[in-house]
Amino acid sequence: MGLSLSAATAIIGVSVLLSIEFMVANVIPTMTDTNDSFDEMKDRAVEQMQTDITITNITNNSLGPPYDLNITVENTGSIVLETSYFNVLLNGTSQEFTCSETYLYPENIVYFNITNQPNNGRLKIITDNGISDYFDYVIS
Amino acid sequence: MGFSLTGTHVVYFIASVIIASAVSGVLVAVTNNVNTSLSETGDRVQTQLDTDFKIVNDPNNIPNITGYYRFYIKNIGGRKLETTNTTFNLFVDGEIISTAKYNFSEESIQVGDITTIYVVNSEISSGDHDLRVVGPQAVYDEFEFKI
Repeated sequence: MGLSLSAATAIIGVSVLLSIEFMVANVIPTMTDTNDSFDEMKDRAVEQMQTDITITNITNNSLGPPYDLNITVENTGSIVLETSYFNVLLNGTSQEFTCSETYLYPENIVYFNITNQPNNGRLKIITDNGISDYFDYVIS
Repeated sequence: MGFSLTGTHVVYFIASVIIASAVSGVLVAVTNNVNTSLSETGDRVQTQLDTDFKIVNDPNNIPNITGYYRFYIKNIGGRKLETTNTTFNLFVDGEIISTAKYNFSEESIQVGDITTIYVVNSEISSGDHDLRVVGPQAVYDEFEFKI
């Protein structure tokens, strides 16, 4: 009777230990990955709050019409922005553009150029993390 | 009598080993199922945390070109976004848009990139509207605009 109880206890004990081992081996990496994703999400939210841009001026570079627009954008936030991930909408439509710099540092300005545009319109510039600014312009 | 006592002990021993093995098997199987579910839940939570996008249109100027309104979706999350009719659903003023009535310019977009949703213009009348774009793991963005 004593041997039977010992054997049964040993078998169940080993299986409990194995189950705990499987559980720990699976749960810890999952929790770590989830925690990393949460940290990244938190970082993105913080970066969004620290991002701000202002379109300060639009000038015309051509005799026109159509006009080649030179758009001055200032980084009024506190993080560095990558201009290749910006988007430019003119009167609601996405435009191809060139930019004078790869990175836009805080308190610095960059120039975006878009070609063949009308003499007036509404411009929207969107940063890599979705923060944007609007500007209504008229070329006289 | 001596033999039968030994025989009884052997029977007890075998029975207890069989029962313990059965309990162990069930325990390991249940643990394995729980592990799998936890792992899948973890993956889904991760996907949800990594997914984020934004409708970046100018709400006063929705382009209406060749019979389609264009809505721009920017990937502002932490992973590539599959942009297809099966991964995304569109609601205008709370009404779901049939998947046959919209399509995407790209099948996927990397972080920071933009894609265009083309919505058949007969689906949206003039006036003020609310667009809800629901993506993977029910992550969504809402956008009010005027046609």
